[in-house]
Amino acid sequence: MTTLHDEQAHENQQSPTVDPKGVPGKAGRYLEGITAVIGMELRQRLRSRGWYIMLGIWFALIWLVTALVWMSWKAQSGYNFDPGFGRVSPGPLIFEAVCAFVLLFGLLVAPAFSANAISGDRSAGTLAIMQVTLLRPGQLLWGKFLASWVVSLAFLVVSVPFLIFGIAQGGLGVGYILVALLMLALELGVVCALGVGISALANRPLFSIVVTYLTVAVLTFGTLIAFALGAAVSNGTVEANQPFYKGMEMYPDEQAPAQDTEIYPPVPLPTDVTDQNDEYACYGPLQPQSVSRTERVAWLLAMNPFVVVADAIPYPARTTQEQSYGVNGVFENISQGARYAQAGPDATFQCAGGKVTASRFDQQVPLWPLGLGLQLLVAAAILALGWRALRTPAGKLPKGTRVA
Amino acid sequence: MTEDQPPPPVEVEAKPPEAIPPEPFHGLSATGLSRSFGQVHAVVDMTLHAPAGQVTALIGPNGAGKTTLLLMLASLLAPDTGAISIMGIDPVKNPSAARAKIGWMPDTLGVWEALTAREILTTMGRFYHLPKSTIASRVTELLERVNLSALADQKARVLSRGQQQRLSLARALLHDPQVLLLDEPASGLDPGSRVALRSILRGLAAEGKAIVVSSHVLAELDEIADGAVFVNQGRTVLLQSVEQAVAQGRKYSIAALDAPALSAALASLGVDFVPGFGRRDAVVVTVGSEILAANLLRELITAGVPVSDFGPATGALEETYLSMEVEQP
Repeated sequence: MTTLHDEQAHENQQSPTVDPKGVPGKAGRYLEGITAVIGMELRQRLRSRGWYIMLGIWFALIWLVTALVWMSWKAQSGYNFDPGFGRVSPGPLIFEAVCAFVLLFGLLVAPAFSANAISGDRSAGTLAIMQVTLLRPGQLLWGKFLASWVVSLAFLVVSVPFLIFGIAQGGLGVGYILVALLMLALELGVVCALGVGISALANRPLFSIVVTYLTVAVLTFGTLIAFALGAAVSNGTVEANQPFYKGMEMYPDEQAPAQDTEIYPPVPLPTDVTDQNDEYACYGPLQPQSVSRTERVAWLLAMNPFVVVADAIPYPARTTQEQSYGVNGVFENISQGARYAQAGPDATFQCAGGKVTASRFDQQVPLWPLGLGLQLLVAAAILALGWRALRTPAGKLPKGTRVA
Repeated sequence: MTEDQPPPPVEVEAKPPEAIPPEPFHGLSATGLSRSFGQVHAVVDMTLHAPAGQVTALIGPNGAGKTTLLLMLASLLAPDTGAISIMGIDPVKNPSAARAKIGWMPDTLGVWEALTAREILTTMGRFYHLPKSTIASRVTELLERVNLSALADQKARVLSRGQQQRLSLARALLHDPQVLLLDEPASGLDPGSRVALRSILRGLAAEGKAIVVSSHVLAELDEIADGAVFVNQGRTVLLQSVEQAVAQGRKYSIAALDAPALSAALASLGVDFVPGFGRRDAVVVTVGSEILAANLLRELITAGVPVSDFGPATGALEETYLSMEVEQP
């Protein structure tokens, strides 16, 4: 392969015909070390029976979820009437359910493959043996991380048939599934990076696995709780005037419905309208309204893996009618809810600044780049700490550590 | 930076050992090392010189700091104070260059249980940046050397403790290091493997490698070691060559077919003796040197005592060790 080439071509013989991949020296050696670690890890994984058992259980579970979703749709569709805009296929429903379960199970499975990567070697006495070779801490971390990612991606691959089944049921584009798969893969990668970083810091495999699971729980549930609490304390005010809904069948200022002779005449618009759309108008003087400034804590919500995946998937534009029928799936709702929170009351509170605001399902600014970015930042920070812990000759050691 | 440094072992082999830097001391040296873990002072003041071409024994009771010392020498732990030189290289400043020259065999059996012996060694070869084309043959060669060829493609899980120990030795030798640090290499080995280990180590010393062996089997160290470093409670307490150890006074066990005659003869020669602690009816005497021991034997024979056994009751290093009266918790 390329490395054979490395040994023969010395640094001074840089002939331009050399395959750029075969460039000898630092980078090549660095990669070579990483691939050696990956090879070693994968070989061990592929030999453990537990891995195949987990894959089997995974396959069965996803199969079950798909079957149940499909059956429940079948059962419901007997009562459902066709609202007339093409929502007749269970495709999106199955796809989103499978996606959500793949993410859920992935979050549960990925720590198992990553969080003992280094602490396991440490407790088996094999870490020091690797450290005493020319392997650098970075190579060790990269190798372990990439290997655990590849292993968890196998689970994603197993679930592809079900996602394709969802697509085959209609209503979805191929791009839709590609984006979803990509985001699921990235989320698994983030969890693997967290797991490997934590395992480099921990002394015992059990401890690092538990801490990784807790970290995943913080990302999944902790972010929701923190967002809710944060939103509750982020009080603020926004200058807004009154909304006036057109086509309302009751008008609060009249004492009683009019006589039988006049049934629901069009309501006259207030005179001091500042802005209006088909639905409502804003009128009256601006007054401070107390609101929750959700945009200040939306970043917490953004770090939730489900939000990241749901928000990254591009959804077709929805009409108001579709929205009211609840056509959109769970993921789309998650996405829009998160974007709504991110936009904050300035953009979402009705008649804020005397302007008509976009409806809940028209939030265009994506939240997932922020969330993914924050996740990557956390993972990178933990990996950096892990790298520090792996450097040798070791200076300070945590209590109770035995190098070998 | 250091990535450029590690010379492929093949090159190292080609160079005569003398060609490496003109150091005042050639081999492994450590002076005034100390290392503490929190409140525990594992190593307080240790000095060790392991010249190239010799086997140096590291002897001390459990918890004396031997393993900590070896970890520092192996570039895994940074010493708090003191200096280490591995063939002229400071492992703290330039770990990569030092590691290319160090072969380390830990006292823990670190094996990847799901991998075969051959796979473990091959992976290690890649970690050491050995040329890919030579790894396979080098691995086969080493497996033969430690007598594991028949088990080469078995998972390490099924290997016995002694076999894993031999695999660990092969791993330490893989990149043809100039300095070998072996922590209890003989533990768990059967007698045949011990003999093989001894000849491997003597062979490596003859090739000019510096070898440090820590062991509790002191009798065995008499056979393989050229010098010994005695450590206790984190300090080097004595540097001694095996020749010196042999020259010093030591106990001899004497047995005769006629025990009363032996006692009488010893009494008449004015030699103090105590009953031996072995199964047989033997006595133990303390003799100042090997020459004196030979004289004593001659005199006993001359006195007509039917001597059936005459030999050192303890090994030379064991004698030193026991005379140190170290604390054994």
